[in-house]
Amino acid sequence: MRRRVETDGALIERSARGRPDAFVEVVQRHEVAVYGFLARRAGRQAADDLLGEVWARAFAGRAGFDPVHPDARPWLYGIARNVLRAHWRAARAADQLPGRLAEDPWDDVIDRLDSAAAARARELVGAVRALPAEEREVLLLVAWEQLTPAQAAAALGIPQGTARSRLHRARAALRPVLAQTAGEDS
Amino acid sequence: MNEDMTELARLGWVDPPLPGVLDAAREVLWSAVAAEMLATAPPDGTRAPGKAAAGQTAETPISQPRRDDPGA
Repeated sequence: MRRRVETDGALIERSARGRPDAFVEVVQRHEVAVYGFLARRAGRQAADDLLGEVWARAFAGRAGFDPVHPDARPWLYGIARNVLRAHWRAARAADQLPGRLAEDPWDDVIDRLDSAAAARARELVGAVRALPAEEREVLLLVAWEQLTPAQAAAALGIPQGTARSRLHRARAALRPVLAQTAGEDS
Repeated sequence: MNEDMTELARLGWVDPPLPGVLDAAREVLWSAVAAEMLATAPPDGTRAPGKAAAGQTAETPISQPRRDDPGA
């Protein structure tokens, strides 16, 4: 007989009710995804440093997670987002980063691409960078973290309708650039 | 994911983390888990909750405070 797989919600609930070690399985399920979330936005070195902080905060706050949700990723990305904000604030306070770069990982994205891809992508990156920050965040949660718009809304703590309309606007703004890129491919 | 997101998704590709990175992060979690388990463990740390009362009644009745009970 196959063992029934517990949802993230069930594991987190169990961990909050006397079995704290049950939380480790949630972490094992999502550690690569959360690492990717951090690395895409702040680079790999920062992700290396910050991943443990995400787990510590998530564990400390697990009683606030609604176990009705089977997938903990939106909640974990919301925590990772707060960890990143704190990291950038601290780095800025210590004058390690200029203000704009501290909040904008896009130069790192370009650096990670090989030169041919970077040249092709530069226009797309420029278009994404030009989006309002709140539209960009929804867009990237869907495109990069593969969340649904409803999950992206949960990660950002905004209503679902707001997330959907921001995503719609972002995609509409990018459509001409994406169409041009597709044309170059063919 | 819709096709118009594919190009954008490609931009977000990163190498997977090195195993040591995940282990180090899990250590942070394990410290928190261990701290909580220790904080909620019975004082002598040997009995599982629920079984303690049965084994305990003959020697140290539950109604009597024990010397190592912080609330005693």
